[in-house]
Amino acid sequence: MGSPHNAEDENGLIEQARLGDRYAFGELASRYYPGVVRVVYRLCGDTGLSEDMAQEAFLRAWLNLPSFRPQSSLRNWLYRIAVNATLDVLRRRTDESLEDEEAWVYPDQAAGPETSLIEKERVALLQLAMCSMPEAARSVLVLREYGSLSYQEIASVLDIPVGTVMSRLNYARNRLRELLKGDLLQLENEYA
Amino acid sequence: MHEDLLPLLNAYLDGELHGTRLRELELHLSGCEACRNELKELRLVSARLQAAPAPEFIPAGRFASNLVLSLPRRNMRNLPAQPASLAWWLVPAGILAAWFFIQTVFTLTDALTAAQMTGLLGQAARWLNGGQETIWFAAVTSLFGSQVGAAQPEFSLMNALNVLGEHLLDGFLWQALIVLLYWTWLSIWWLRRRPRFMKMENAVNG
Repeated sequence: MGSPHNAEDENGLIEQARLGDRYAFGELASRYYPGVVRVVYRLCGDTGLSEDMAQEAFLRAWLNLPSFRPQSSLRNWLYRIAVNATLDVLRRRTDESLEDEEAWVYPDQAAGPETSLIEKERVALLQLAMCSMPEAARSVLVLREYGSLSYQEIASVLDIPVGTVMSRLNYARNRLRELLKGDLLQLENEYA
Repeated sequence: MHEDLLPLLNAYLDGELHGTRLRELELHLSGCEACRNELKELRLVSARLQAAPAPEFIPAGRFASNLVLSLPRRNMRNLPAQPASLAWWLVPAGILAAWFFIQTVFTLTDALTAAQMTGLLGQAARWLNGGQETIWFAAVTSLFGSQVGAAQPEFSLMNALNVLGEHLLDGFLWQALIVLLYWTWLSIWWLRRRPRFMKMENAVNG
């Protein structure tokens, strides 16, 4: 994500967008939207919310683009905004409806109409396992698995030390392994 | 299974181990079946995550078109200046160099003048005499002859004091000019820098 684009071309677009060119920003948005929305979706498990949060992240990015340092990575900056915005919403939802947990913990099982019932169940199980994880561990796991960020980049996006990234990732994968034991066994047999 | 190796196994899986640590872990893995199984399970977790289908989102092109239409106006006054060029940072260095040069010239001139006036340099610094006469003293000597200074020592003393006064005034004016230039540069630097006080983190966290 992000890296295949010509850096010079991208810097030009960023500079134009900084100066107020909406279309230059639109071009940047079309490049980074797929990655951002995918990461957000894996954080919240809700298709509609993911699109809303992606929109919110790009709006915030537009407003704060003048403070963006051109030397840093736009992709990481966008991820940072999107992750913070999403976690804020999830925290608010948890505070507002602790007793009505199903409202957001159970994800929309939107895997497409062509997906088999079993596959839908597996997807739901995975999303449920993801959503049951503490957000600190989930954010690290999502940025690694779906954002393809290095440990250093994750540390920078979440503003935590690399050692913390490692320990949270270790916790998250172990937790998932426990929660998905049966599912993983099946996957192993499929791969065998 | 070596519990303490778990974070390293994750790092190995993610391609984040390098050098000696990588070689050490690979050596350990070749002889430890429990750790190999652990790594295999971690790979399965990762594969499961990667294989999870994602829903259809709004296409990127449509998202960007809608976004462009909904972007609010931005306050351009908050636009911080671009990072200063090398030439910008050379300005204060140049001012300091000019100050140093002028100070050196004045100090040397003072020293030579003092040495010449006290006769320490003898005939070696006769060329300095040209700068030792004020306009009024030059007019007096041209009217009454060059011996007037010797005949009336108070004239020579007044001339010397006058020369010294002019010299100090020159020095003061040069220094004031340098200070003024430096403060001007400092003010411009501060005004350019001020918008950057907006912290990115604050902006990001809304």
